[in-house]
Amino acid sequence: MVNVLSCLLKPDVTEETVVRDEEIEAIGRELHKEIDRTFGRSLAIRALDTGSDNAAEIELNNLSNPYYDAERFGITFVASPRHADVLVVTGAVTHNMAIAAQKTYEAMPAPRFVVAVGDDACTGGIFAGTYAVLGGAEKILPVDLKIPGNPPSPAEILVGLLALMRKAQASR
Amino acid sequence: MAPLSPDEKARVRELVGSAGIAERIARGCNGEYYLTVTGTEFGPLVTALAARKCALIGLFCTEGFSPSARFTLFYVFEKCSTILVLARDSGTLSSSVASLLPSASWFERECRDGFGIEFEGAFDERRLFLHETYPEGFHPLTREFKNAPIETRAAVRPEEEYPFRKVNGEGVYQVPVGPVHAGIIEPGHFRFSVIGEKIFNLEIRMFYKHRGIEKLAEGKVPAAVLPIAESVSGDESVANATAYCCAVEKIAGTVVPDRAWYIRTILLELERIQSHLGDQGGMLVDVAFPLGASQFAVLREEVLRMNARLTGSRFLRGMVAPGGLFRDIENDRLDTLKPFLMLFKKRYRVGLKIVLSTTSVLDRFSPTGTIRKDLVRPLNITGPAGRASGGRMDVRADHPYGVYDRYAPAVRTLQDGDVLARFTVKASEILDSVDLIGRLLADMPSGAIAAPPAIRDGYALMLVESARGQNLCWVWIRNGVIERYKVRTASFCTWQAVEHAVQGEIVPDFPLINKSLNLSYAGTDL
Repeated sequence: MVNVLSCLLKPDVTEETVVRDEEIEAIGRELHKEIDRTFGRSLAIRALDTGSDNAAEIELNNLSNPYYDAERFGITFVASPRHADVLVVTGAVTHNMAIAAQKTYEAMPAPRFVVAVGDDACTGGIFAGTYAVLGGAEKILPVDLKIPGNPPSPAEILVGLLALMRKAQASR
Repeated sequence: MAPLSPDEKARVRELVGSAGIAERIARGCNGEYYLTVTGTEFGPLVTALAARKCALIGLFCTEGFSPSARFTLFYVFEKCSTILVLARDSGTLSSSVASLLPSASWFERECRDGFGIEFEGAFDERRLFLHETYPEGFHPLTREFKNAPIETRAAVRPEEEYPFRKVNGEGVYQVPVGPVHAGIIEPGHFRFSVIGEKIFNLEIRMFYKHRGIEKLAEGKVPAAVLPIAESVSGDESVANATAYCCAVEKIAGTVVPDRAWYIRTILLELERIQSHLGDQGGMLVDVAFPLGASQFAVLREEVLRMNARLTGSRFLRGMVAPGGLFRDIENDRLDTLKPFLMLFKKRYRVGLKIVLSTTSVLDRFSPTGTIRKDLVRPLNITGPAGRASGGRMDVRADHPYGVYDRYAPAVRTLQDGDVLARFTVKASEILDSVDLIGRLLADMPSGAIAAPPAIRDGYALMLVESARGQNLCWVWIRNGVIERYKVRTASFCTWQAVEHAVQGEIVPDFPLINKSLNLSYAGTDL
């Protein structure tokens, strides 16, 4: 059993942890540049779970771990839809979440973008055509980009956001 | 159904208290006992089981199981290593046991929504997983309803909104939180009744993510249900897939090869490590201690990457199959786990020391969010949450499956029941899981990774210890397809403990208390 008292009496000195991943650095640099160009320094994302199996949330949360530290590329996850540029939707849209999801989107200021993350949000996945869900996010919201995967990895989500920036740039 | 040995007969007689009733008990495919009870027997028997400290760990309904009634209700009782399932015929009217066995309340509400059964005498008759927009009289799990999109209402009038319990009095006000939360969190509604900063009452409303998992499985061939089992809860993919596959295997009498069980067990323990690391990192985020949180976040990412290297999936999906595994993990790749875990363990201990030697963290962790020991059985609180509150239950030890009888885990129990106790139990379990994987790797047998697939009609109950505790699954196969797939994850029961854990605490401690349990919304809502 872990003994709290012994840890308290003999604390350790922290060591440096190396968490560099060149692939992520390259995607991040590109993404930072595009965010700068399109949104002027930062991209505010509001995550909305409309019925996922929670794996996609874990990967979105992982974007903040030191390996990705997505904030340094200009990405912030914000607490309110009123502060958000992008609504990231995970999971098929359940009947029980439909009204809350609609209200969340309506609270966002324009211009606003919707990104579906994961197979269930993209198409309804294995739940499409059943009684409990309406289907993918596009059933109730105007989806600008789909990032498929079960769930997509943090790197794939970053690549998806890069594509969104280019799309937003092109439509300006 | 098999007859009982004299030894088993003595055990069940002690449990039910009557030799006559015990005579009728039969053993199911997975060692669980079944007893069909009549209407008059049921009440006294349940009272006797409750008095003998049996926990009601599950209650679910089936249609068309018995020739003499439309519905059959299954009451699953657990006492140490014995599982007794009472089968009770029912029409659309039954009687409630929730006042005697509190864990029954959500179960009964679930049966009511799914099948339209009214439970007379229930203290809570509100709908559970069907929210307000669903039409009245809609019961998706009945046979007459064929799974297809339905029309729900686009808006709800204020007077039709869900009636939360009201706490009235001078200075009491309500704080509604959710279903959409401020962070990257699953949806759920928390209704606090607060006096000043102190929480006087909390009511939790779930099931915003109800995706119809159980109905979706119906009528499918057993292999087609695996992706559904893996989608019950993302970070319990292996546990739920294993529970489902075991039930199918037990029904068919399939013997899973040893190598498959060794690898399954490694995956189950990797999933536990990954999940516990997430909880611990989250707790530290919630007390604003990023130095500690980063240690665990880095380690978790490394475990997820290791998972991907081993199986192609960061969540270990697509590995567990009925009969064994879909594919092998070659020894070369398995061998990379050993040095990885040695380094992991060293760094994990460093992270742990940073946290546990920081008094400001300990001050927030203890005594915060205490779950009293006397709630553990009535609410069926299992897993690290139950063990941190003095419980000694662990499915791996109580009902060992696969190779856990040979590699029994040490059951880590603490008495305090607060956030610190849960943090510490999880820390011990991570270190135990690392050691267990090391032993499994050292003893790894060679040979086949799957038995030839066999599907037989029948039904079986299976329990698996997921990272969050006891996951229950009951599978009924008829004419080669799934007739009923009942899932009940540990979170379903433990959510109700959160309402008790926060009483008397302040609202700003709620996220910490919630994270220390880190229950699955998806696994509850199904």
